[in-house]
Amino acid sequence: MSRISPDFLPQLLAGMVVNFEIAAIALVIGLAVGGLLTWAKLGGGVVGALATTLIGLMRAAPTFVVMFFLLNIIPSDATLFGINVAPSGVMTVALSLVPYAAAYVADNGSEALKQLRDGSPLGALLFLPNVTRAYFVLVMSSSAGAAIGVSEGIAVILREAERMPTLGDKMVLFAIGIVCFGITLQAGFALMRLLQHRLGRLALRSRQG
Amino acid sequence: MSIRRGLFVVLAWLALFVAPAVRAETPDAALAALLSEARAAAAVPGACSQSGVDRLVRLYCTGKIRIGVREYYPLFGTREGQERIGYDVDVGRAMAERLGVTPEFTRVNAASRIPLLADDKIDLTIATMGHNAQRDGQVRFIRPHYYQSETTIVGPKSLEIKDWPDIANRTICVTVGNGSNAQIVSHSARLMLFDEAGVLPDRLRDEICTLAAQDDSFFAYYFTDPAFAARFDQKFGFAQVPWGVAVALTSGTDRLAKALDLISQIFHRDGEFLKIAKENHIGIGFLERQRAVWNRPECNTAAGNTDPACVLPALSAVLEPTPIAGRVAAFETWMEKHTGIALQLPMFKTMPAWQLFKAGIINSLILVAGALAATLLFALILGALQSSRSFVARWPARLLTIILQSSPVVLTLVISAAVAHALFPYSSAVAIGAAIVALGLMNGSNAGQAIAEAMHSLRTERGGPPAPTVELYGRAVSRSATQIVSFLINAAKGTPIASFIGAPELLSALTDITSFASGRASTYSLLLVFYIAVVIVVVWLCGKLRLWLERRQVAA
Repeated sequence: MSRISPDFLPQLLAGMVVNFEIAAIALVIGLAVGGLLTWAKLGGGVVGALATTLIGLMRAAPTFVVMFFLLNIIPSDATLFGINVAPSGVMTVALSLVPYAAAYVADNGSEALKQLRDGSPLGALLFLPNVTRAYFVLVMSSSAGAAIGVSEGIAVILREAERMPTLGDKMVLFAIGIVCFGITLQAGFALMRLLQHRLGRLALRSRQG
Repeated sequence: MSIRRGLFVVLAWLALFVAPAVRAETPDAALAALLSEARAAAAVPGACSQSGVDRLVRLYCTGKIRIGVREYYPLFGTREGQERIGYDVDVGRAMAERLGVTPEFTRVNAASRIPLLADDKIDLTIATMGHNAQRDGQVRFIRPHYYQSETTIVGPKSLEIKDWPDIANRTICVTVGNGSNAQIVSHSARLMLFDEAGVLPDRLRDEICTLAAQDDSFFAYYFTDPAFAARFDQKFGFAQVPWGVAVALTSGTDRLAKALDLISQIFHRDGEFLKIAKENHIGIGFLERQRAVWNRPECNTAAGNTDPACVLPALSAVLEPTPIAGRVAAFETWMEKHTGIALQLPMFKTMPAWQLFKAGIINSLILVAGALAATLLFALILGALQSSRSFVARWPARLLTIILQSSPVVLTLVISAAVAHALFPYSSAVAIGAAIVALGLMNGSNAGQAIAEAMHSLRTERGGPPAPTVELYGRAVSRSATQIVSFLINAAKGTPIASFIGAPELLSALTDITSFASGRASTYSLLLVFYIAVVIVVVWLCGKLRLWLERRQVAA
């Protein structure tokens, strides 16, 4: 433990904030894109078929490959109306998570709308805990940013691990990382269960009422 | 007169009258003669107004020489206001002085230094240009070379790295298109690509890069910063490239090139290059060695600069083409002509790229198959352990599942790789194996949890906790079919992340290919299509598996 630099923990926490930031950006864009795809899918016809195909492709696209695809296909000096639009590292990771987020939102959004049409508004509200679940999955997936030099939580751990001489020291460091991310994830899932519990009680009350 | 005496007289006569005739002309004399001829030609009335005038003669017509130099290459060519400084600039000034003309500098960069020569906008370029065989067809390089750089690996002083074996499985930050990237890749290092060399020192400082590889001439400037020099050092160098002053490869440049060859030779012999290098605080090892070479009698002649024993060869940067390289190039041209899409397929055009590409596809398919098998295996094992009535079997499995669920995928992979490398020496197979185990454990633990939950529901339906039987376990597996399939698909989608720990799958292979070849957009588009196709096939196969499991459940 003594080998770990004193500023490691503050740096790790700062890095984890970047993970949350990436996940938030991905989810917001995913909600917008997924919402549009849901609307198009439910509209049926050619547009609906196209939306269904697109959702299927987005579901199949591996995040890590999408990240490298975006990184290499968008020139670093890309401009739009004279404004530099080349995404930063954080934005590239967030955008790479959008296909997953959008496909997830589209799948769950369709289900929620179906519940709403069937007269179950509370069933539709299950969309909220599902989105919360997606957010925490995105937080964990944002660690892929370490591969392209984004200074998020895992990148901080790996940088520190490079200095560790023995496997034992590295394992201690990795364990700290798992605990930090684990607490976050378990807290997220606890929040999701709380949401589900509240919604369940609401459903029960509305049935009794 | 005896025969012996007769021979002595003949030899003495030869020594007196023949030897001076065959004694090699010195470079100084050859240069003086050449410049004198050119001055005389320029002095002939009307000679300077003739079209196609010899370039050396033209220098004396105009009284100046136009030299292309860089403006943003610290220690070699920079500009502060109107003042230009750097080794290349000072070499240009010294050469102009030797020619007896005034230097007129023009800004060039890596992309413009050859076109400006071809367009006759400059007479020569002295702009950190490496001499490789490919460029011999574009410009005439002046021999001997005026400097030599090598690719150097720079990292924190605390890191023990001395040679190639020490960089296996490490990530090295490099710039796209650097010719030495292929060599780094061949030693099992991973690359992190950047567009501009200028960002590398900053990425080292902010620790995003642990190691960076770039020309030693580039890092030379940063090592003049005491703070940088205190933290980092050069680990080792490779891929030496001689730098050449160059003139255009058009008619009328021969005599100018010859004059510059002789000047370059004299500058090495007399330590002029060495003096300029010392004044500009750049590495002098190459120049010291060259000074010794050009002081050797056999090299210190007017013809020395064409003697292979004295001059350095051009770097051979041409990669071996594949048998289908021509047809691929023709297809690219056809595609661009008919669709406007500038498709580039570097993986089919050179043998090193083709070998990497083939191995990448095979390794990716092995990885996907392995990850699917491992996920299923770990799901069944962890599912059985978590369904067990024994506390000793159940809780370790649950704890492992919680740990795996709490660890981001990249961290789990790194842990798996660290353990694997502690047990076995690094190899591609070990990296692939570690990735398969990590992906299998991550997804298998979740699927195993689903099986255990299904087992629990089956027991509850039967009104109590019956002893787990193979039949009951089989039904639990069938009941959790959707979850198992979902995590199998997830495992297949996660396989490209294996490149992070050095598994040489397709993403890794294509990153390596694009680091020394062009066509990044086409290459990564192809990669995306490949992985989406693989996942779609896995989804289809998993759909079949789910149907089979669900039918089994119905039958039961």
